[in-house]
Amino acid sequence: MKHEIRETGGASVVAFEGDVDLETSPTARKVLLDCVGLKRPVLVDMSEVTYIDSSGVASLVESLQAARKTGLDFALVSVSEAALRVLQLARLDRVFTIHATIEEALGG
Amino acid sequence: MAERESVDKLLSESGENISDHLELLALMGSDFASSRDLETTLAKAVERITRYLDAAGGALFLLDETGKKLRCHACSGATEIAGMVLDSDQGIVGRCVQENVGEIVRDVSKDASFHGGVDAETGFTTRSILCAPMSVKGERIGAIELVNKLGGDGLFAPSDLSVLQGLSSSAALAIVNARQAEALVEQERVKRELELAAEIQRSLLPEARPEPFPIHGINVPARTVSGDFFDFFEIEDGTICFNLGDVSGKGMNAALLMAKTASLYRCLGKTITSPGKLLAILNREICETTTRGMFVTMVGGHFDPVSGVVRLANAGHEPPLYRRRDGTYTALEAELPPLGIMPMAGPEEDFPETEISLEGGTLYVFTDGVTEGYIEGDETLEVEGLKAMLDANADMPAADRLNAVISRIRQTEGPLRDDLTLLAVNDAGPARQAVGVGLLRINFPSLPGKLKEVREAVTGVLKEEGCPAALQADLVLVIDEACQNIIRHAYKGSTEGEITLEIRRDDDDLIVLLRDFADTVDVTKIKPRDLEDIRPGGLGTHLIREIMDEVEITPLPGNSGNLMRMSKKLE
Repeated sequence: MKHEIRETGGASVVAFEGDVDLETSPTARKVLLDCVGLKRPVLVDMSEVTYIDSSGVASLVESLQAARKTGLDFALVSVSEAALRVLQLARLDRVFTIHATIEEALGG
Repeated sequence: MAERESVDKLLSESGENISDHLELLALMGSDFASSRDLETTLAKAVERITRYLDAAGGALFLLDETGKKLRCHACSGATEIAGMVLDSDQGIVGRCVQENVGEIVRDVSKDASFHGGVDAETGFTTRSILCAPMSVKGERIGAIELVNKLGGDGLFAPSDLSVLQGLSSSAALAIVNARQAEALVEQERVKRELELAAEIQRSLLPEARPEPFPIHGINVPARTVSGDFFDFFEIEDGTICFNLGDVSGKGMNAALLMAKTASLYRCLGKTITSPGKLLAILNREICETTTRGMFVTMVGGHFDPVSGVVRLANAGHEPPLYRRRDGTYTALEAELPPLGIMPMAGPEEDFPETEISLEGGTLYVFTDGVTEGYIEGDETLEVEGLKAMLDANADMPAADRLNAVISRIRQTEGPLRDDLTLLAVNDAGPARQAVGVGLLRINFPSLPGKLKEVREAVTGVLKEEGCPAALQADLVLVIDEACQNIIRHAYKGSTEGEITLEIRRDDDDLIVLLRDFADTVDVTKIKPRDLEDIRPGGLGTHLIREIMDEVEITPLPGNSGNLMRMSKKLE
């Protein structure tokens, strides 16, 4: 798994690429919680996520809860089919705000 | 004066002229020290002594191994009597050896002990004899005898005897040394050959296979070579032939018969799986060719890891022990005598077979070296002790369990009483869900970093099976989640654990089997979390149950791990 963080329109955009699994999710978790700590809205670009497991999903849930605590927006953007399937199976597709594109996310 | 001439001739031929007996002693000493060929050196010594003491002839007699015969090993001068054998008390030389005293017999015709046979045979006329015994530390070896003094008055002088006694002592010492050196060389040679034989024997034993391979064995020879053996080998249909035997005796003859029996079984076992038939063939062969009085007790078996069924035939061997999953035992008695004792009544008659379904239990086959092995003092392990050891180590992998039993016996001081051989046939029981066709079977360590490889392997197999892409992804997720649960919960994050993944297909059903070797998990504590309660963690089990049709976790007997079985219909 690789990741990239950039700032767009006042939000932190974290893009993950590759497999978010038991081996890589600790990194994903740290990256996400660090972004939440920056006190800016967090957008997670999941277009290049080829695989995500429950530990990866758990990192997303934990970061969402941390963002909510401080009143920050936390949304997922262009979620790949593979990742969306796992969110659906976990019934989390409605818990997360999911946008089709970064533009849509910023516009909303 | 013909005698005189022949010695002069000898002297001139050798070109030597020895002036005193110390010089002669030194020469003989250096000959004995430098030569490896005792007989040649002795011949040379006799020749020198004969010449130095100016005798017409000389001979060196040695007692044979029995001590009852004297044999002429070297001679010089007048008569050729090398190889002549006398009784050890025959003649003047015999008396000299028996009494261990040197003698001068000035006129043999006046000595009753004189054995005229030699003269009669050789045409030589013996007038006087000088004879000195050879002995070292009281051990009689033989004697050196000289005949007919050539110079002076033709009689041996007392000074001749003391010289001869000095020379014969030196020769005796050299002979004893040479014999000891020879014995040592022979001992070394035998030892080396035994070691080579042991090496060949070890190569006849099968290579140990890691779990989950069901059959494990151990052999510890009491001496260099062993009369015990065991073997196992897979045949094409995935079933496994095994055997364990004990040849009567422990020496090289037992080792050779062991090699023969084991080789025959392995060779024939590739095509004949029935152990009863195999033992009958071996029995005929051994009865036909073996040395009288040697026999082999043997258990032959055939194990099907898919059904967990063992077929056994027992030729006079210690009853194998079947340990059920609940820890109870049954001993399986032999029905026929050992191999090599008597041919079966009919040439086509087979040994009777017993069939048992192991149902998750283990079959132990062992030699009496194990049950009769000393544990403390005079106390032997016995069958009850063996059972106790197997019970105490039931949680360990089979190979470790066998080692534990062996180490219990070997702790006692001193050499082993008998060869120790032990074999276990471990039935996986519930892990043996071997229905349908195997698609994948892999072992991997409990490392998060290994999971990507596992996912790739699973994806490859599912693609091959024509599984739709969406279902592929779901199944990969399920297997990954199940492995994570094993790593995080069963192994508690330890990366030292091992996981076996097996995927099978039975018609439309895809069956996933995951086995760990961790402590038994409390199945009641594994439940999917309440999804309304949104929190990180605990999602894996939910995902698994969401996707799969059936999920079942079974703790394996004896705290030997857990088996997770999942199935999914492939539409």
